[in-house]
Amino acid sequence: MATSDGSTIIGESILISGSLNGDEDLTVRGRVEGTLTLTKTLLVEPTGIVKAEVQVRNCVIAGAVVGNVTASESVEITNQGRMVGDITAPRVIIVDGASFRGRIDMGEVDVEAGQPREAVRAAPSRPALRAAPRQAAPAAAPRAEARKAEEPAAPAKPPAPPAPVAMGAVKRKVIVKRK
Amino acid sequence: MAGIEKVPAQRAGAHTVIGSSIVIDGEISGDEDLVIQGTVKGRIGLRESLFVESSGVIEADIETANVEVSGQVTGNIAASDKVELKADCKVVGDIRAPRILIADGAQFKGNVDMDVKELKGK
Repeated sequence: MATSDGSTIIGESILISGSLNGDEDLTVRGRVEGTLTLTKTLLVEPTGIVKAEVQVRNCVIAGAVVGNVTASESVEITNQGRMVGDITAPRVIIVDGASFRGRIDMGEVDVEAGQPREAVRAAPSRPALRAAPRQAAPAAAPRAEARKAEEPAAPAKPPAPPAPVAMGAVKRKVIVKRK
Repeated sequence: MAGIEKVPAQRAGAHTVIGSSIVIDGEISGDEDLVIQGTVKGRIGLRESLFVESSGVIEADIETANVEVSGQVTGNIAASDKVELKADCKVVGDIRAPRILIADGAQFKGNVDMDVKELKGK
């Protein structure tokens, strides 16, 4: 029973239509329609359906969300999550298997600088909703280094497989020569 | 949260909890127990039990099977089984139910109707 730890749970058979405001974590296993405003984390479980304008700090979607989601920190769509609507958040995570249709706005993305995300990543870490440790900080920082590391690593790999690929390459070369 | 532990056996079936900082303006409907520690305005329709904890504030018409009030309710309550007003609760509104219990210390203003036949007739 997760009743008493200051978190709100909307059970599977419950439908709330209207506006919902709060300052605590909310878990939705049922349906919520209307507007949903929280200062903490919204967790939509696989059975949960949210058809609402959502404004929260963090949002984890494992169920269905129809509507626009604005998060001050992050939005994550898990592999079971389905969403239709626009996302506005500095961090948006969409994992393999998730389905999403809509626009995403992560704020100003500076393509030139290449490291505009550092400040965002340094922001307070998301609550540990999922057991799997994210290691967000180490993954974020050495992104550029990782790329560099890959380049020297590539030649070190064993030479490309010989037969079929090589033949295709040869063929193409021959055609080019004829022209 | 001591209020919750008072009746653990009954609450075991409660899957839905509206926490103390939550404000809902609209309609809640469903087929399961509902525990309210926050604020609800509008309408509540359930087929199971509604628990209004001491921190709970309700300004809504309520239609359920059972209601147990330890907090504040403003609005009419219609229950198909039982309404229980605990000590320290404040209720303003009419109550219709076959069984109505009012504990010593409860504050209540409104009409009480235990005539179930009339309820069903309407």
